[in-house]
Amino acid sequence: MKLRSEFLIHQNDNETLLVPAGSAEFSGIVKGNNTFGEILSLLKDDTNESQIIKSMCERYEAPEEVISQDVRKILDSLRSINALEE
Amino acid sequence: MSSTYRIADVNIRLSSGDYSFKIYAGDYSFDGAAPDIELYVSRDDVDYERSQPGGDSCTDSYLEALAVFRKISERMPKYDTFLFHGSAVSVDGLGYIFAAPSGTGKSTHSAMWRNMLGERAVMINDDKPMIRSELGHAEIYGTPFNGKHSLGSNIHAPLRAVCILKRGETNHIERITPDDAYPLLLRQTYRPHNKSMLAKTLQLLDRLKHSVRFYELHCNMNPEAAKVSWEAMRP
Repeated sequence: MKLRSEFLIHQNDNETLLVPAGSAEFSGIVKGNNTFGEILSLLKDDTNESQIIKSMCERYEAPEEVISQDVRKILDSLRSINALEE
Repeated sequence: MSSTYRIADVNIRLSSGDYSFKIYAGDYSFDGAAPDIELYVSRDDVDYERSQPGGDSCTDSYLEALAVFRKISERMPKYDTFLFHGSAVSVDGLGYIFAAPSGTGKSTHSAMWRNMLGERAVMINDDKPMIRSELGHAEIYGTPFNGKHSLGSNIHAPLRAVCILKRGETNHIERITPDDAYPLLLRQTYRPHNKSMLAKTLQLLDRLKHSVRFYELHCNMNPEAAKVSWEAMRP
């Protein structure tokens, strides 16, 4: 699983923007906080949900269950705009 | 058949199929230096434009012009320039853009400035100007695509401010940070299909953050709105 090549990640001060090229099916822009940005960075390379959760647990002191829910929510959002290659 | 144009200080040679782009771009015709960009527009390109929303009600000539403009917009980031959807007006030689989703009132607001400021205000482009974004400086250019009322000229001016319009009951304006403006700017910017040109476009927008002022104006259709925005944005 990884981010489709037609989506670019752009850092804007304290928020991360996910920007599709004109060729992508989805034409909106997705904004998120730094956590969103970190997950997107992990999705630049081929990975899976468990690996992302593991990486985020190493970076943040939060219950694994909470981190798993957040990761799942973000991945579902990305799937809904066809931003992931699986 | 080929013809050459100069748009936003970039020379473009166009070889087109059956139709004439000159209907829209006559003011931008140019003889002289070698082209920076060479384009060919085919029947397939016109068919692509026809397949877009609203395309089947357009003439073939207009669709060809759209195809040309799309191809130009795809390549302009190489020249530090991008297409922006907004209404741009020059006042005393400085450029101002009103940006908002379609139907919000950009053209109306530009028209109010022209009524209020008279000859000092000159339309650069009422629909799709181009912005050249360099370190510490941005320039706004007229293009052949200047909206349904064909308001615009083949002129350019240093870009002083971008004003994001929102409809409101009363008229008030505030200066906002470039980061607050950025997502809307991005929505109004042409996003190339080519990923490296898109990455370059985002860099150009980043540069704009350091060279231009940004405002958010809540306004109604009352001419007072123009006074409010001008007083805040003028030098």
